[in-house]
Amino acid sequence: MSFNQSRQGLIHTLLHYLRAINAENIKEWKIEFTYKPDFVRQFIEPFVYLFPYFLYGFALLGGRYSEHLRSITGISDMVAYTFIGYLFIGFLNTACWAMGFSLRKEQWFGTLETIFVAPVPRWVYVAGMALHSTCHQGLIMLIQAVAIATFFAIVLHMSGIFIALLIVLLMLLGLYGLGIIVAGLTIALKQWWVVSEALSTLIVVVTPIAYPLAVLPFVLRKLSMFLPTTYGIIGVRHFLLGEELAIALPTIFLRLSLILVVWLTFGMIVFLVMDRYGRKRGSLSIY
Amino acid sequence: MWVIVEEVRKSIRILLAYPAEVIFWVFSPLLWVIPLVFQGKALVGAFSSTQFGNLAGTDDFIPYVLIGAIISTYMFSAVWSMGNSFRDETYYGTLEHILSSPARPAYILIGKGLYNSILSTSFVIVQLLICVFIFGLEITLIKILPIFMFLLLLIVGLYGIGFMAAALTLLVKEAHGLLHMFEYILFLFSPIRYPVEVNPITKTISVFIPLTYALIALRGLLLNIEFNFLKNSVILFGIDCVLIPLGLIVFHYVEKRTKTRGTLSDY
Amino acid sequence: MVGSGEIVVDGIHKVFKKGKPDEVRAVDGISFTINKGELFGLLGPNGAGKTTLIKCISTLLIPDSGSVKVGGYDIYREPLDVRRHIGVLTGGERSLYWKLNPVENLRYFAALYGVPRKITKERIEYLLDLMGLTDKTRVRVEKLSSGMKQKLSLARVLIHDPPILLVDEPTLGLDPYFARFIRDFVKNELNRKLNKTILLTTHYMDEADDLCERIAFMNRGKIEALDTPERLKQSMPQKQVLEIKCQGTLEREMFSSIEGAASINISHGDGFAYLRLNTDNPEIILGNIIELVRENAKIYSVRVTVPTLEDVFVHLTGASLKDG
Repeated sequence: MSFNQSRQGLIHTLLHYLRAINAENIKEWKIEFTYKPDFVRQFIEPFVYLFPYFLYGFALLGGRYSEHLRSITGISDMVAYTFIGYLFIGFLNTACWAMGFSLRKEQWFGTLETIFVAPVPRWVYVAGMALHSTCHQGLIMLIQAVAIATFFAIVLHMSGIFIALLIVLLMLLGLYGLGIIVAGLTIALKQWWVVSEALSTLIVVVTPIAYPLAVLPFVLRKLSMFLPTTYGIIGVRHFLLGEELAIALPTIFLRLSLILVVWLTFGMIVFLVMDRYGRKRGSLSIY
Repeated sequence: MWVIVEEVRKSIRILLAYPAEVIFWVFSPLLWVIPLVFQGKALVGAFSSTQFGNLAGTDDFIPYVLIGAIISTYMFSAVWSMGNSFRDETYYGTLEHILSSPARPAYILIGKGLYNSILSTSFVIVQLLICVFIFGLEITLIKILPIFMFLLLLIVGLYGIGFMAAALTLLVKEAHGLLHMFEYILFLFSPIRYPVEVNPITKTISVFIPLTYALIALRGLLLNIEFNFLKNSVILFGIDCVLIPLGLIVFHYVEKRTKTRGTLSDY
Repeated sequence: MVGSGEIVVDGIHKVFKKGKPDEVRAVDGISFTINKGELFGLLGPNGAGKTTLIKCISTLLIPDSGSVKVGGYDIYREPLDVRRHIGVLTGGERSLYWKLNPVENLRYFAALYGVPRKITKERIEYLLDLMGLTDKTRVRVEKLSSGMKQKLSLARVLIHDPPILLVDEPTLGLDPYFARFIRDFVKNELNRKLNKTILLTTHYMDEADDLCERIAFMNRGKIEALDTPERLKQSMPQKQVLEIKCQGTLEREMFSSIEGAASINISHGDGFAYLRLNTDNPEIILGNIIELVRENAKIYSVRVTVPTLEDVFVHLTGASLKDG
């Protein structure tokens, strides 16, 4: 086969996979729309989830502003600080729940084996779910951002929005790596949700969401260096709120890029190994 | 009666097959307190706050939040367990079998609730022991009886809520999300993480949530914060008297409705 | 080594829970070849290993050993090419998205199979028309009857026009009308008209007899016999079958002393017990048999007929197709 032919074949395959990923995304939207109360709930819930963190801050400070927070981050507004952190951590759901859950969900629908005999690799379904969940979470976040920023009169620096989005993009790709690991583990583990729960709890603890890295103990701080969310939130908060950078910008980009390559590669390896294990044992169809 | 005992036995056997789940339930409340500890440190610069003390009766926010976490997990696991019980059975494929058996579903639910109470209580004991040895929480012998009394008053009310949660899962197919929402609403409007006095809206709504009174009483006992013993116990008892019959009525109504409409296995 | 063909299965094994006390040898050294355009049947009781075999061929499961080639592609090295060339239809209802309508379902599967966008629309219209579902295009699948769901599943399988079809218990749980439709469609439309190569598994003897050019009897993971239905039936040493329909309790051992009776099979259905046995001289043994039956049961009818595939199966394996 000539180089041109094989390149054409590659492009054709790639387009096929992209189309399948998008079909998965559209299918998920359509199914979600049929559960209307649940669909609406998903847009209200983030607000209900976020407010306790503000109220906790209010109770501790007796108001909205913290001198101590300003001394360690350069920002005194507790609400703005916490809000940006929790806003972007919403993507954690994409990795730990939506992607991890994708294959189990098909199993509950009874469609898993039907889609598994289609001529696309199995990670395509997980990628489709990642695309869907990213769009869904993105939409929720946008609404949340506009509503909260308006309600609390938070001024975001729009000049840095594009670099902030670039950082979010890199963070997302890194998170997809984690998501595909979870998806792989769901094939082999009956209690896959414990993995999701443990992973998301761990990430929430060590990611500087509502506090800067400085308050974390040494071990947790080191652990947070391996997670894309750490750099994502530090970078985004710097560009949107002007938080003093705990890590230099080029280092953020460099490490995020490195992390996404490592996590994605590792994730794909885990997924492929688990998929093979599942097909050898027939484990997915047992439950 | 043996139906209830059998249900408890079965559930414990199933759980013991999943050790990871046991570990998760023991440690999860302690884990989700950690971000709140760091958030407090970042905002105040210390582990105590006089502003917090003005509202909560104690400056030390860590034990305050810790107790909130432990007791609320107690509540959530009950609601999840009973709410999800029939959902689980549909996944195991045994739901129709159970509901068509001569045993009344309410007994099965009580069995599941009882199992959950035993389990959660043992988790709470482990968690409190961790708090005693690691965080220096003081529990004197004289406090144990009232602590268990308030826990019991809370549990009984939970059965009522659990019945309604189970009814909801029979009625709404995607009840999982609604139960989540219920959890978040409780986080917002009851003094789990912060004193509800911080905001007039949360203060007003918290009056209607039984967890509020249990938390006030248990924190009062464990952290030596002044509280009205009689008032809190009477209110909790009164709520129990309403919730149990209400829960049973709602469950029976929904179960009957589901059976006549035949939507049971429609997942 | 098995020769060339559209599906070539050579010595495959699949063992579950290997080395454990409850080890299951689901597929135990099976070999066969299905030729292009052939309608090949795998007949066996539940638990014979038919579905495991189909899963191995369709790349859902990896066999422990042996080789499988589908359309010339190897299931280990070229699983995506294998899947591109096959369509898999299973019995039961849940191979579709119930919350989506037929068009949305088919459009989704067309994307998964890489059906060019340009022809997707006309392909969907053609298939829905073929299945008589044109008036149901906007109705959610959950609202369709079991039969209609299975018709739609057939449309889904055909969306990428595969040359090879793996059809696993296609009429399971369907009412007679839809079961008839599916059978006719598989034989006349798919096999005869469109010349598809079809591997059909079933535990319904009539279905296999009706549809298949060749049949493999599968029992406990092994193939017990493989031939055309006619030759399988002719292979029976006794050429006639005596069948007694009665009500009561019958045991096989009751008839073991009768000379000239073989492959004694007792089955139950519609509140009756059916005794079937193979013989060359029904008129000679009839008197003794009736006497024995009347000791325990009330006789409703007696007839002498020719062997069916069920009789051949009982003769070869000692097990009934209804076992499992």
